[in-house]
Amino acid sequence: MSKFWILVTQLYKQKIKAKSFIFGTLLYVAIISGIIFWSDIKAALFSEEPLKIAMINNTKQDFKEVFQSDNDLKFSFSNDDSAKIEKQVKDEKLDAAVFLNEKDGKLNAEIATYTPLEFNDQTKLSSMIQYAGKIYSVQQLNLSAEQAAQIIESETPINMKNLNTEKESGKSEDEKAAGIGASILVGSIVYSIVISFLSIITTDVASEKGSRVLEVLLASVKPSTHFLAKITGTYLLAFTQVILIFGVQIILLLIVNGGEKWGKVADIVDHLSISYVLYTLAYLLLSIFLFLIMGALFGSLVSKVEEAGQTMMPAMFVGMAGFYVLLSGLSNPDTLLVKVFSFIPFTTVMVMPLRIGATDLLPAEPLIALIVLIVTVIVLFYISFSFYKRSVLTYSSGGVIQKIKTVLKVTT
Amino acid sequence: MALVIEQVTKRYHDFKAVNQLSFTIEKGEIFGLIGQNGAGKTTTFRMILDLQDTTEGNISWNGQPMNRVNRDVLGYLPEERGIFPTMTVEEQLYFFGVLRGWTRTDLKQEVDYWITRFELDDKRKAKAETLSKGNQQKVQLIASFIHQPEFLILDEPFSGLDPVNRQLLMDAILYLKEKGTTILFSSHQMDNVEELCDHLCILKKGESLFTGSLVDLKEQYGKIKLSIRTDLDKSQLFALPGVGNVKETKDGFTLLLEDESYGEQLFDTLGKGKYMEKFSMDYLSLDEIFKDLVGGEHV
Repeated sequence: MSKFWILVTQLYKQKIKAKSFIFGTLLYVAIISGIIFWSDIKAALFSEEPLKIAMINNTKQDFKEVFQSDNDLKFSFSNDDSAKIEKQVKDEKLDAAVFLNEKDGKLNAEIATYTPLEFNDQTKLSSMIQYAGKIYSVQQLNLSAEQAAQIIESETPINMKNLNTEKESGKSEDEKAAGIGASILVGSIVYSIVISFLSIITTDVASEKGSRVLEVLLASVKPSTHFLAKITGTYLLAFTQVILIFGVQIILLLIVNGGEKWGKVADIVDHLSISYVLYTLAYLLLSIFLFLIMGALFGSLVSKVEEAGQTMMPAMFVGMAGFYVLLSGLSNPDTLLVKVFSFIPFTTVMVMPLRIGATDLLPAEPLIALIVLIVTVIVLFYISFSFYKRSVLTYSSGGVIQKIKTVLKVTT
Repeated sequence: MALVIEQVTKRYHDFKAVNQLSFTIEKGEIFGLIGQNGAGKTTTFRMILDLQDTTEGNISWNGQPMNRVNRDVLGYLPEERGIFPTMTVEEQLYFFGVLRGWTRTDLKQEVDYWITRFELDDKRKAKAETLSKGNQQKVQLIASFIHQPEFLILDEPFSGLDPVNRQLLMDAILYLKEKGTTILFSSHQMDNVEELCDHLCILKKGESLFTGSLVDLKEQYGKIKLSIRTDLDKSQLFALPGVGNVKETKDGFTLLLEDESYGEQLFDTLGKGKYMEKFSMDYLSLDEIFKDLVGGEHV
């Protein structure tokens, strides 16, 4: 085995057995599974009784079709007088009572509770009452049931037709929604992975440099071999984590509830274009590489491992900026801010997939961002490669800029 | 010649860390590089190991420039100790051996031998970070020569070791020499240098003050250290001819003479033909020579 692979294997074996890697991976798996399977977890762990709600309908309209019981709300229509119902609410035999009355030709509702309803339940109940109100108003016009249904359930289909032939064919609302959904997931995972592996490589190089074991290693291997081995080893580690996270999710999606959720995921994936998947994958692989190069360089600048956190701050801020721009773009992915950040190589991976998935951009734009990213990776690699040789054995204090100045001063 | 250093200079902008340094080391020899902190020892080691470029001059091993030398023939123990903190003692030694081209099977005998010799048997499976400083130093030292290098560089190998471990290390260095390893080392403990070195180089601010054999260095000064037991006091001794310095010791006085030739005259003056309990002329110790050369301080 060459020295390069000996170093790669040593790093990989050491880090993959580290508690931080194991717990970090488990945490990612737990969080993502928690989000995806929240409804199942909630159903399994918190088998809540539905809220008991009494409906006191003082109008002539029948609302039984509107207020149908489900897992959250259980409706019972009552003819008891108000005082008796309110007493039951006070005694907490009922969670709420809804009094429906007519006022000025409109439906008027009053919700009586003893313990205020939770936000979700209140929102759900309010929206049912609003719907009932619409039905009531329509019924006052003496329309047939079909006519009433036509008004209440009418929805205007909107089709996009783009006359600019240079633009990609317009995406449907479903495709855009899938694009946004996938971008949140990809962006969050990429952000976490990039930041955690930036930290791993920076700390690793810094710890070897700080403990002076690097001097012993460099007496045996060339700095360039060491630099490449660090990047390759950490890259493989990151790759392992990505595979573990996605592998576990795929298995869970396939087996939980007979693969019920897999269908929904497949729906989202179906709505994503091939170009979205390929570009996102390319951005992801290149960006991890980009941040690892920066991490190795930052690690080589510090004199002791305690300084690693401070040194990698600039790179972490850049990553964080990309993530926040992604979040800002979820409601409106067409802003200038999102467009600009989608071309900045350090944030492309988080922002450009959102634009590809959720906006109608020129086909050349993702390609330009990819080329900018590739060029940046190559340039940064060569700069770091040559700088690393000079910085690994230079010990200095101060901030990043001061450290770079010292390295340049003592090695040129 | 195994190692040849010719007119080597290392310059950082206006500062010369090493200036026109030249020396040679024969195969199987122990060579000492001594100097104060900042004298340029570590820079010299790094240039030999091709970790830093020379500004001027050449360094070669067996006639080959250092950047073409197979690094597996080199061993290096840096001044500030460094090992992988979470790796066990045994794994650490195997790792460095494998990195230098050995197989684990071939290494087993070496690893077992040195672990036992350095009394680390009960620490085999211990993580390096749990070891005492002295034991960590021993592990790193073994790691530097576990692959049986032809040329071993030890930067301050004795610092921080207790007398027992220091002796273990001294014996190990002599054992490696017997096996044909060429050794270059630096130390602030001159007694160790004196005991181990055949040749040495004394550095001051990057410049060589002396390069050659220890015997030559001592003869260059001559037998100018006179130890006596006498009834005379310090001022009376100062007044004697050829006496440069007088130092009172627990066991009498130590006089530093301007020249060895004053010895006979002083013997006559102090003894006056009678029995003298103590009159001993000797060479200066390396420690004294070093202080004189580097610090300008007389005994």
